[in-house]
Amino acid sequence: MNYVTGYYTTRFGELWDKSLFDLVEEAMRGVLKQNNLENKQIDAVFFGNMLAGVLENNLHTTSKIAEILKVNIPIFRSESACASGGVAFNLAKAYLEANPNKNVMIVGAEKMTDYSPEETITGLSAAASGEEQEAGLTFSGLYAMIANFYLEKYHYTEKNLAHVSVKNHFHGTLNDKAHFRRTITSDQVLKSPYVAYPLKVLDSSPISDGASAVIMTNNLGVVKKQKYSVSVLASEVATDTISLKERKNIDEILSTKIAGNLAFKKAKINRSEINVAELHDCFSIAELLAMEDLGFWKKGEAGKKIIEQSTMFGNGGDLIVNTSGGLKASGHPVGATGIKQIGEIFLQLTGQAEKRQIKNAKYGLAQNVGGSGGTSVVTILGI
Amino acid sequence: MISPVKIWRRQKEIRKVLGKKGKILTWTKIFTPGSDFKKYAPYPVVLVKLENKEKIYGQLVDCEEKNLKIGQEVISVLRKVRASSEEGVIAYGIKFKPMK
Repeated sequence: MNYVTGYYTTRFGELWDKSLFDLVEEAMRGVLKQNNLENKQIDAVFFGNMLAGVLENNLHTTSKIAEILKVNIPIFRSESACASGGVAFNLAKAYLEANPNKNVMIVGAEKMTDYSPEETITGLSAAASGEEQEAGLTFSGLYAMIANFYLEKYHYTEKNLAHVSVKNHFHGTLNDKAHFRRTITSDQVLKSPYVAYPLKVLDSSPISDGASAVIMTNNLGVVKKQKYSVSVLASEVATDTISLKERKNIDEILSTKIAGNLAFKKAKINRSEINVAELHDCFSIAELLAMEDLGFWKKGEAGKKIIEQSTMFGNGGDLIVNTSGGLKASGHPVGATGIKQIGEIFLQLTGQAEKRQIKNAKYGLAQNVGGSGGTSVVTILGI
Repeated sequence: MISPVKIWRRQKEIRKVLGKKGKILTWTKIFTPGSDFKKYAPYPVVLVKLENKEKIYGQLVDCEEKNLKIGQEVISVLRKVRASSEEGVIAYGIKFKPMK
């Protein structure tokens, strides 16, 4: 069995005084300190990052990490657009399964606010197919096409989508590390300007800076010395066509469905046993699809179910979603997101989630998506 | 990044899908584009299912707001798709216009 024993995240937001590697360093040192581990006790590092190649002209980040840590160990970088962090975690788990008694560190980071929005949006468009980019489609444009299709098919309106952002912004107020820590109303969501019709600014996750790191180990000696540990019950990656148009169903993320089914099978638990989930709400529509594609709600029902706000903290529901604030309010430093999601589940399962702590959480799930659904990672942790 | 060679390679494929009819499967209107498309915003982009079932993306041109709906019949046309590159090569590609 593999265990997560520590988690540290920087604040997410517009961190103008910090570079990409300032953030990476803070996250790595933070998590090592928390677990009382020396640099030399780490056997490998996995780094999740999307845009350093495009925005920073840096495609040898692994060596930079070696320089910071003053180590000569294997270091790997994973890039799968916004699923880069989740994929890094999955690769780290596979590494541990091949190497007994090792400690690995998984760090995800992104520096996005050094550039104009257009430059960052162009960089993010690298997650889409060439044809999509050539048609002038942005990342938000692709999710907008999904949203438009979903709303028309199931007879919902933009109002149904707005509830996702209202909930996640409320959760953001309970998380000191979140990019946005203020509540919003559905009226404010509906009155915010369009990014790509029918999605508006307040349906969309922000452009953020940040870094998050976790320690995973299969060394029981190390686990015993730690105050907190959770078991990694499953981490599954699934892929699909990069182009939205090549998919059979536009109103589902098939890669999430596949990864989710595999993860539940591996973890040997039922969906009803999940108490807390971090879902990839890059846009409001994405959380609704995730609830359906992971089998928590029936297909086409999420637009209606979200109105009840049963997944909001404090409403007494059996499953609380995106206690970190989700990508919407916690922020979305692309490469860090997948690690922050797993870290949030770790905090919840070990009773460290402070103001947003869910009572008696035993199992948690994180779903991390790349592009418009070309990659999904579903991770299940248990106490 | 765009290059003249890339434009040349892509343009060989365009003629195969010119003048094709189809219906809008879904659409959006982009208000916050990337750098290359900034001066055209806001602009509508449609995903069209052609009569032969092939699916193609393109911007919708020569249209009114009422044409922006799922199921609208459209036809593919040749249009400039972005500003000319530094080498001066103009990139043409597929866009759609509504059928009357």
